[in-house]
Amino acid sequence: MCALCGVFLTEAHWTDVSGGLRTRRHERLHRVALANRILKHYGFKLSDWQGNAYLLSAATGQTAVLPNVAAVWPAAEQLRKRTLDPLDPNLIEALERG
Amino acid sequence: MDSQSTTAAGTPIPVNIVTGFLGSGKTTLLQRLLRAPQMARTVVLINEFGEIGLDHLLVERVDEALVLLQNGCICCSVRDDLKTALRGLLSRREREEIPAFDRVVIETTGLADPGPVLYTLLGEPVVRHSFRLGNVVTTVDALNADLHLSRNPEGVKQVAAADRLVITKTDLADPAQTGAVRDMLGRINPSAEILDVAEVGFDTERVLAEQIRDLTPLMRFRPHVAESTPTADPSRGLQHNASVASLSLALEEPLDWTAFGIWLTLLLHRHGDNVLRVKGILRLQDVAAPVFINAVQHVVHPPQHLARWPTADHRSRIVFITRGIEHSLLARSLAAFSNSRVAARADA
Repeated sequence: MCALCGVFLTEAHWTDVSGGLRTRRHERLHRVALANRILKHYGFKLSDWQGNAYLLSAATGQTAVLPNVAAVWPAAEQLRKRTLDPLDPNLIEALERG
Repeated sequence: MDSQSTTAAGTPIPVNIVTGFLGSGKTTLLQRLLRAPQMARTVVLINEFGEIGLDHLLVERVDEALVLLQNGCICCSVRDDLKTALRGLLSRREREEIPAFDRVVIETTGLADPGPVLYTLLGEPVVRHSFRLGNVVTTVDALNADLHLSRNPEGVKQVAAADRLVITKTDLADPAQTGAVRDMLGRINPSAEILDVAEVGFDTERVLAEQIRDLTPLMRFRPHVAESTPTADPSRGLQHNASVASLSLALEEPLDWTAFGIWLTLLLHRHGDNVLRVKGILRLQDVAAPVFINAVQHVVHPPQHLARWPTADHRSRIVFITRGIEHSLLARSLAAFSNSRVAARADA
């Protein structure tokens, strides 16, 4: 249940529970699209990897395979040595612009 | 353990945490709670710091089913001991070495950070299968609340993690002082119900009850748009750590659960040490029932579907208790990522 260590837990991460009517595949694609709203601001792209993991790619070509969305953020910071911050005013402005 | 380790109905056994600063009346409250007939089948785990103290002796007279954890602070150093103690209770019950029990209460040390205790309960697979987290109850001494909370970060974390705040020693404090403590606690944690232990009609059942009306504090506030980060105002009575403040948000549109989850994981990843509590009731897209969310620092409870809304107001409501975080940015960030209009009230 720890937001920082979804890898450790054997059951689904809390974010993996679908809240609506989407199929599992559609839910995963929706999740990827939403995460990319943040990640593109920092030079990353996330994609679904065979329906059971996520592939994080940096513009530099570095990649990481991750089990859930909570694992994306520390992995991204590790790849690029850069902080991802939802309270970053530049990120917020970019999100507000759409 | 398997399902036989749970209650007779097969449901996980509730575990309540009673926490509060040193000398704030945890054991006295516990004694009162344990006198209630419905608490007869309760096991109490006490985390003593150092030598066995008076607290242990007092509680021992109330309930024989005691297990003493002696390796210091539960939260920092004996998480495995807590896990072992809970699993041991189940084994011993099945071997009929101890009577059947239907509730566990953990009394933490006064210096305990509640986060790791919650993590052990929610994250350890065997424990999670057989037990579930009940209310977190924090005692606050009316005579020394401002001193404790202004000087001790653990005390503020304990208040932030609470579902019930029980003000103690109010019979020794004047009403104005008790009122000031109540106001201060309400500003730190507007999502908790505040109870006065000396008040006529103080209901021990209420301390541990988990019902939909428990969400009433969440629904009570009237949000408005926050213009800036709240700051401590000496004119507002007792002051706690000035950098700790609560932000209550209401969201007009139904939330996309996926978007909210992504946003919250990033917020807790980057700022979890300073997001002391997130508690809310959410109206989600394509979902009729409200969803209850609850997180203490990095520890996120499994989201729960509720049977119905507690009031006619069906907007999402979220309370954040933070330390040193600019609330206008927090509200803007959530609104931008969730595409929802956000109204906010900030309390410092």
